[in-house]
Amino acid sequence: MYKNFIFSLLIIASVQLFTGCSGCSDNKKSSSGDALTLPDSLITDAPLKLSEEIMNEVIGNISSPVEMAGLFKSSGVEFTQRILNNPDNVSNYVTSYKRALNLGVYSADLGYINTFDKNNVVVSYLLAVKNLADGIRVGQFFDFNQLSRLASSSANLDSLMELSVTSFNKMDSYLREQNRSNVSSLIVTGAWIEGLYLSSAIVRESGDEELSNRIAEQKNVINILEIILSNYVSEPNFADLVADVEELKKAYAPIKITTELGEPQRIEKDGSLIFIQAEISTVHYTKEDLNNIMNVIEKIRNKIVA
Amino acid sequence: MKKLLFIITISLLFFQPALHAQCGEALKKTALQEMGDAQYIKDFSILLEKSPTEAKTGMIRFNVLLNSRNHYKFNVVNGSMNADDIVMQLYDKDELLSSNLDSGKKYKSFEFICRATKVYQLVFSFTGGQEGCAEAVLSLVKQYSEGQMGL
Repeated sequence: MYKNFIFSLLIIASVQLFTGCSGCSDNKKSSSGDALTLPDSLITDAPLKLSEEIMNEVIGNISSPVEMAGLFKSSGVEFTQRILNNPDNVSNYVTSYKRALNLGVYSADLGYINTFDKNNVVVSYLLAVKNLADGIRVGQFFDFNQLSRLASSSANLDSLMELSVTSFNKMDSYLREQNRSNVSSLIVTGAWIEGLYLSSAIVRESGDEELSNRIAEQKNVINILEIILSNYVSEPNFADLVADVEELKKAYAPIKITTELGEPQRIEKDGSLIFIQAEISTVHYTKEDLNNIMNVIEKIRNKIVA
Repeated sequence: MKKLLFIITISLLFFQPALHAQCGEALKKTALQEMGDAQYIKDFSILLEKSPTEAKTGMIRFNVLLNSRNHYKFNVVNGSMNADDIVMQLYDKDELLSSNLDSGKKYKSFEFICRATKVYQLVFSFTGGQEGCAEAVLSLVKQYSEGQMGL
């Protein structure tokens, strides 16, 4: 009996040992094609029904608020909490739709706060994020105690930023693995709109050219966002959001992005390779174009946080 | 004999998490450490395995939106059991823009100064089609102004 038991255990252990590496990554992907590079055929007026797999690819294409946040500080504009969504508003968000959108909004606000090293206000925003994440059953990805501990000292703000972003990425991957891409798409939309809203507020105050260009360049992203949200247009509230995004797409229509080909460069510096892209894109717009875009962004954002 | 079998069994059961650790979270932490002073944006978990009918592993592709005038870093850490180091390449559709395999030498990272906002493809593979895992990190090194882009 004992011998059989040992033998069985040995077999189980051996099988697990030799199959163990299948757990190397939880993000196994097919090697087949379907890379979504937004071909012209996808940029249409008709809503598309996309598979969960393709949706996952598309959602991952919206840029991180981290990149926008980096430009805020270099604009020279002082930090102002007034432009952020008030963390007290959390109690107003009682539906999953509102919670997911505003989870994205607060994540962009956190990026802005971290950029300016404002650890005195960061905890209330982390708490807002935690509350909303719990409300849509993804609170397990935010270790509030660890985040708060990091927030207690400005020396830890880089670690705080890294932990916040990794927590968001884990949550996003989990939602998509659980076929909850609709929730994921709302978080991404909320973060993107808030990033543009904060940029618009800074541009209105300073006229910063870099941020103005960055807002205009987002013309490339609006098509991706439209595809994402149109996929869920039959779900409650999404139709309204899609209509808002379409209005924003119209505001972006006059923006022209041209490209020219320069020389690619390869530099080896301190044992690392640096490649400089040959293609150079330039964005062309008028002040009026930009103003129209910023007006629509403000309108959508205020609707989201209401 | 029974004692020996028991020790082997227990050893195998306890050894297994170490194999998992050579990929998952521990490897990701190393990749994050090797990212250096750049600002973390995103990470990628790579697992390339052969199915019983395949002679070689293929590749894994991730789409990434990169913004103009941003200086990015892509660094990768290999699983300790990998027979070969992974190749990490950045494409714009079919055009290879940068790679950690350069003149036969494999680097742990490469940096890319983007001058056109769009969706790019980050592709991972093994030159000999081996199996293995890796963790990669995309981070932001610097943001340039319009005037600095002449470089």
